[in-house]
Amino acid sequence: MLTEPKENPMLPYLGKLVSVKDLGTEIKFIGVELLNGGSEKFAHYHPGQFVFLSALGVGEAPFGIASTSDRGNILEFAIQRLGSVTTELHELSTGDTVGIRGPLGNWFPLDEFKHKNLIVIGGGIGGAPLRPVIQTVIDNREDFGHFTILWAARHPSLLVFTDEYDDWSAAPDTELHLTVDQPDATWDRNIGLITELIERVAPSPENAITITCGPPIMIHFVNKMLTEKFGFRPEQNFVTLEARMHCGIGKCGRCNLGEKLVCVDGPIFTMKEVGGFLESFI
Amino acid sequence: MIANNHEPHLWFITQEELRNWLESITDHATLIAPQNFDGIVLFKPTSDVNEIDWGNSRAAMSIKEAFFPPTEQLMVIKRRGAEVKVTEKLFKEKQVIFSARPCDARGMKVLDSVFITTEPEDSYYSKRRANTTLIGLTCQQMGATCFCTSMGGSPSNPDDMDIMLTAYNGGYLLQIVSEKGRELVTGVNLQPTTIAVEIEDEIGRAPTPQIGDWPPRFADDYWEELAERCLSCRICAYVCPTCRCFDVRDEALPNDDGWQQFERIRCWDSCTSEGYRRIAGGHNPRDTKAKRLKNRVFCKFYFYPQQYNPVACTGCGRCIDACPVNIDITELLQHLTEVVYANRA
Repeated sequence: MLTEPKENPMLPYLGKLVSVKDLGTEIKFIGVELLNGGSEKFAHYHPGQFVFLSALGVGEAPFGIASTSDRGNILEFAIQRLGSVTTELHELSTGDTVGIRGPLGNWFPLDEFKHKNLIVIGGGIGGAPLRPVIQTVIDNREDFGHFTILWAARHPSLLVFTDEYDDWSAAPDTELHLTVDQPDATWDRNIGLITELIERVAPSPENAITITCGPPIMIHFVNKMLTEKFGFRPEQNFVTLEARMHCGIGKCGRCNLGEKLVCVDGPIFTMKEVGGFLESFI
Repeated sequence: MIANNHEPHLWFITQEELRNWLESITDHATLIAPQNFDGIVLFKPTSDVNEIDWGNSRAAMSIKEAFFPPTEQLMVIKRRGAEVKVTEKLFKEKQVIFSARPCDARGMKVLDSVFITTEPEDSYYSKRRANTTLIGLTCQQMGATCFCTSMGGSPSNPDDMDIMLTAYNGGYLLQIVSEKGRELVTGVNLQPTTIAVEIEDEIGRAPTPQIGDWPPRFADDYWEELAERCLSCRICAYVCPTCRCFDVRDEALPNDDGWQQFERIRCWDSCTSEGYRRIAGGHNPRDTKAKRLKNRVFCKFYFYPQQYNPVACTGCGRCIDACPVNIDITELLQHLTEVVYANRA
């Protein structure tokens, strides 16, 4: 049992920033290319997985991967400036180096979703880990049924991936609905919370799967509306949960949700699973 | 793991020979032994066997810190312009812990289950574990707050040691428990013996609910009541031989020859601290003391066993001694057991 240590799972690979752009107010979108190995590990990661990104010298934090390995080997992340690590990551520019550990966690079982109608529900920066789901569905459009994207933010400037909306909407049998609860003068789409948008779109639970990411309170009310008003069963509703964590590999203890660890048992759960945990996520 | 069947594995060693042996250990390894610092017994490195506390009292802190230090350097990060170098810092020395108690050794077994046997292996912990030999000492009697026997342990249990000593007739009975232990006694003057010393295991003072009894107790008001006096001071986690939550952060070091230098460290943390579960947007699902205290207790007896198998309490009783507001884990177990039985009746 006490053998020589294997590969050190806390040691990050190094990656180079190959692109940096503004995605919204205080939100940057970065592309990272691996420098010193790790390419094999990241050759086939899955939609919904996450990594630890290091702002080397400041710290590391978990981020959902916003890209899909099917579209190339550049890893992409949407980073909202909130704490010390994200503030430092916002300071970086093309050519700078970051640390990267992963891919970590489980993923959306898209193979099981084939031929089902999919409803993707994203709130604010929570849209980031949903982008690889959207890209995978669009790239393999014939594998899935009707595709609905419900996309929300507090304010238009916090909507992520705006320059991709035309592509998303143009995919066959796909609809994109946008809403904000604090519109600006130019806003001409839906106004209100995501739950109001869901009510308007009135999704059918038949042969359907929903995939939600956003703040905990949004996940709670989205699931409540889907189950109570539209007859979805909790096991049809997949979510990706956020938790503070320091290792991502089931050691540091920080992300436990009752008897589960968000980092290794998640971050993807069905709301049936979430409802069965001893501890509430909200 | 028990020594070769063809040789006796129980020996007698005189006090003087033991001192000589410990002294010789300091030539090739760091000797960590209990020492009395102004009345507080702590496991600390020493090169002088005269510093050792030979008493029966259980050290205020467990041996955990020899494997999982309060602050541990994980790697050094160097930056010069766009250039970056990251160097991992793995433990390379050998260490021998003298006078480890069965509850402490059991604590390491509990931590092995998260850091070693659950993939991926934690390089830092496993290296320290592989490089450390445990010389245990039977407790002559259980302390006022000890309850190891309630947790499946005993004051004389050698199972989790490499070598086990039991005071006898002015010297010690020595049991070789593992190969590592056998290596460490090579060349030591030992006399074979068949004497067995029975240490009476005192009756366990804490009743313990069965694992299945725990989930229904999660909703009890009792946690609110108990947490009213909790200060969220975290001392219970720091003295605990099995609490292992940690934080990871980068700290600046002095520049080195034109390179900016940083260390990535991990340090002890505890789920009873206020912002422990707060997430980036500010949401904190464990926003009351009661929820946090309950999480720690449930971790010990229900979550940890679900996640890694062993119960994460060895009955060492340190948290009872250390708590500034007298939260007593045995009282808590007693209370919950009474509730469980009352509900069955």
